Amino acid sequence: MKKILAITSCPNGIAHTYMAAENLQKAAKKLDVEMKVETQGSIGVENEFTAQEIEEADGIIIAADKGVDKSRFANKVLLETGVQDGIRKPEELIQQILDGKVSVFKGEMKSVDEHKKEMKSKQNPIYKHLMNGVSYMIPFVVVGGLLIALALAIGGTPTESGLQIEEGSIWETILDVGAAAFGFMVPILAGFIAMSIADRPGLAPGMIGGFIAANGSFYGSPEAGAGFLGGIAAGFIAGYIAKWIKSWNVPKMIQPIMPILVIPLLASIGVAVIFIFVIGAPIAGIFNGLTTWLAGMQGTSAIVLAIILGAMIAFDMGGPVNKVAFMFGAAMVAEGNIGIMGPIAVAICIPPLGMGLATLLNKRKYEKPEQEGGKAALAMGMVGITEGAIPFAAKDPLRVIPSLMVGSIVGAVIAMLAGVGNNVPHGGPVVAAFGAINGVVMFFVAIIIGTLVTAFMVNALKKNVAQ
Amino acid sequence: MKLTDLTSIGLIDTELNGSTRDEIIDELIEKLDAEGALKSKRKFKKAILKREKEGSTGIGFSIAIPHGKSKAVESPKVAFGIKREGVDWNSMDGDPAKLVFMIAVPEESAGNEHLKILQMLSRKLMDETFREQLVNVGSAEEALGLLGEIE
Repeated sequence: MKKILAITSCPNGIAHTYMAAENLQKAAKKLDVEMKVETQGSIGVENEFTAQEIEEADGIIIAADKGVDKSRFANKVLLETGVQDGIRKPEELIQQILDGKVSVFKGEMKSVDEHKKEMKSKQNPIYKHLMNGVSYMIPFVVVGGLLIALALAIGGTPTESGLQIEEGSIWETILDVGAAAFGFMVPILAGFIAMSIADRPGLAPGMIGGFIAANGSFYGSPEAGAGFLGGIAAGFIAGYIAKWIKSWNVPKMIQPIMPILVIPLLASIGVAVIFIFVIGAPIAGIFNGLTTWLAGMQGTSAIVLAIILGAMIAFDMGGPVNKVAFMFGAAMVAEGNIGIMGPIAVAICIPPLGMGLATLLNKRKYEKPEQEGGKAALAMGMVGITEGAIPFAAKDPLRVIPSLMVGSIVGAVIAMLAGVGNNVPHGGPVVAAFGAINGVVMFFVAIIIGTLVTAFMVNALKKNVAQ
Repeated sequence: MKLTDLTSIGLIDTELNGSTRDEIIDELIEKLDAEGALKSKRKFKKAILKREKEGSTGIGFSIAIPHGKSKAVESPKVAFGIKREGVDWNSMDGDPAKLVFMIAVPEESAGNEHLKILQMLSRKLMDETFREQLVNVGSAEEALGLLGEIE
């Protein structure tokens, strides 16, 4: 005799639940099937199935107008329908199972996946676009960072204007290739953010916008572009402009040239105008303002200065704020004051070292590419390439950037208090290897403590990622 | 507990006057109210209509069971009415309802014996012979006698 289980349930659980149960039982008797009905009514669950009953059942019918937990029925033949069908056509339901017309319920594994997919589609779209940009940017940062690191570490000589590489040497070529890869960093980030927003027509305007963002000469700030934060802004602006143009109703004749001509052209012009005239000028202003402000900070408390410099270095990693702090330190070196560049050299390497250490300490908080990026970040940190932390910061700025800033501030303050000096406008342990550091021990102490602070803080703030 | 503990002669009407679903709902609510089962007719009617909106309680087999679980109910009661010509209840099979059971259940109440009795009523109504007998009763007393079988 075939064994079938059924669950009946209705909104109030007063009448329909039991009518359906009654009729299913009657129908089963008629069809010579063994039937047990679990009623989920206002009395509560009655006649609950045992695990063995479920195991032995040839099929399960759920006749309910109310949510019923199906997790018990993974890999069972499962027919779901309304409670009315249980009352009206119980024989048909049973017959469907007997005829093998009902499929097997794949179980909660599938529904968990579906749930995740649902979550992803509901996920904050801003974050999704950002993620897309960052994932394409990571290889550029890694390649560029590692090549530059290699060239500087082996081919570099410390001078008053930074680590210099002999002209015409193989190291110069390697440095240039690395710099080329770095040059793509912000445009790629912006381009793929825009592409995530507006599909393919968004790519060109995004990359062009990103290039403008990265090159301050477009908007009267030749010393410093807008960095990766500017690139993020450019990507979103370009993407949303392109998406908006896409939504226009255009004559059929023009439609074919929309994605390759009209949208990219108009969106590129749009993002260029906005960036150059609306965003660029304030960035140039910030750059000049900060420079003047920082110059005026000379003579204030050394600790306050160290806090400010540490925060600025880590804030945008190669962006205008970072550049201002770095150039201030470099100017001081040129004037013979090496006590400012010391703390800066510490602050420079803490973001990539801190993030690299963070990925090693807790893998669950970082996706695979990020874990790889973390190792590259460690290498970049050793030679003072702050940009190694950018992929992490771009992806999750609100948690990462404050952690980087706090770590760099701590490192810079320790170095300042210990009187660490640096003759070369460059950062990271590599400078010590060149013998440019006064107070090497405290230099490393400051780096290690700052790195630990960043790593623990960011891991405390970050959530686990879904693997 | 028996079904007769939840109903009484006063709650049974073998000749309903109303000719529409809403008229009959009002008629049976009056009966429940007259027997002191309700705190608020208006609120109980709201609960009844809300349930009908979620899906008609005209389940076919000439039966409708408008029911409401509400704070407006003083004590659990069942009113029963017969409309031999039938009344449209938007039922699943399209057949008019002839036997109308109106069930009033308090939102919260001690014990669930009344729910068990209502469960027995629901199950019993799936019995064709029982339905035949009910439609053909000559008086409220006779109907009450039949319902008394449910325990």
